[in-house]
Amino acid sequence: MRYTDACVYPHPLGDSSLRRMALEAGELGFDSVVAVGAAGATIRGVEIVGGTLLQGRDPREVQAAVRRFGQGSAIPMVNAGDYTFNRAILHIGGIRVLRDIQSSPRNSFDHILSRTAAERQVAVDLDISPLVRGRNYVRQKTLHRYADLVRLQSRFEFPLVISSGARSILEMKSPRDMVALCRLFGLDEEGVGQALMGISRLLHPEKPVEVVE
Amino acid sequence: MKPRPPTMREKRRYILVRLDPPSLDIDGRDLYYAIGESLTSLYGDCGMARIQPSVVSFGQGYAIIRCTRSTEGQLSTGLAAVNQVQEKNVAVRSIRTSGTMRSLRQHLEGVKGSNPAGEQDVQFQGRSFTAVMYQGTKVDLFEKGFKNQELLFLTEDDLEE
Repeated sequence: MRYTDACVYPHPLGDSSLRRMALEAGELGFDSVVAVGAAGATIRGVEIVGGTLLQGRDPREVQAAVRRFGQGSAIPMVNAGDYTFNRAILHIGGIRVLRDIQSSPRNSFDHILSRTAAERQVAVDLDISPLVRGRNYVRQKTLHRYADLVRLQSRFEFPLVISSGARSILEMKSPRDMVALCRLFGLDEEGVGQALMGISRLLHPEKPVEVVE
Repeated sequence: MKPRPPTMREKRRYILVRLDPPSLDIDGRDLYYAIGESLTSLYGDCGMARIQPSVVSFGQGYAIIRCTRSTEGQLSTGLAAVNQVQEKNVAVRSIRTSGTMRSLRQHLEGVKGSNPAGEQDVQFQGRSFTAVMYQGTKVDLFEKGFKNQELLFLTEDDLEE
């Protein structure tokens, strides 16, 4: 069982150093974190997985960026856009996580893209930070979008991951807190557990035949 | 007035929470208002009336929050959604839920150890900070100055680099 916080932003993107975030993640009950802009390492038993966050309006730009930055061990993640953009992104090889769907236009991720994400094993990220920082319309919209994603995921079974989106150790959440917050949009404890193991499954997919010895 | 018999009293649940950073200067009332604001924005006034949150114990970076039985899940969600107290960034981390305060206090005796171990002045990236050191390797840096003071969370290794 490997619980991973799928996206944190260490210093200088946030106010906490990578080492401190790793310490905090270990205390909160995580085995690994995906840190944007950091290289892979292991700090006090917590595995740091590098993450590359890509954003662009044109899928071709993103494809070029994936070629440039996505060759290493870092996980390439792309911020979602409109429907056409998302469809193109899901067909680009090398993209592992589609995130920030709550900020994208309505109907930008439907049942067809859900099926594509499942076939191509591209994970969809549920960022907890808008539920904590947001109020009124922002939070309501996020809850609605996440509830829709959970419904689609239960039908099409594309990989789901959960991130705290933390720019500070104060914004990092324990698995227990994530379960409490995910209950708001209908993801149960088992679903949260599966989603927290989502990055581990992306990095080490189960093979039909495995050599044990 | 005669006290109500125990069987007719409302059943309660208690949640032990840890506040980060522990060196922050806030009191129980501030925490209560922050929890109330968070719960009201999530569940509305009806939910708040059902949960009846109350800060029953507060100090040294820990607090015990009371609620009515069967609403502890909603209270945990509300606590996880608190990000500011008196406009200061904090994290309220729920640790354990129990039916009595005594068991939480017993648990607290075993987990305590996040009190600041000392303070000193340091220079980091060309700026002056007051460093609050904790047991282990954690260091919180509070920038010196009158306004826009930055708060950084580092480790001793980060300071040495």
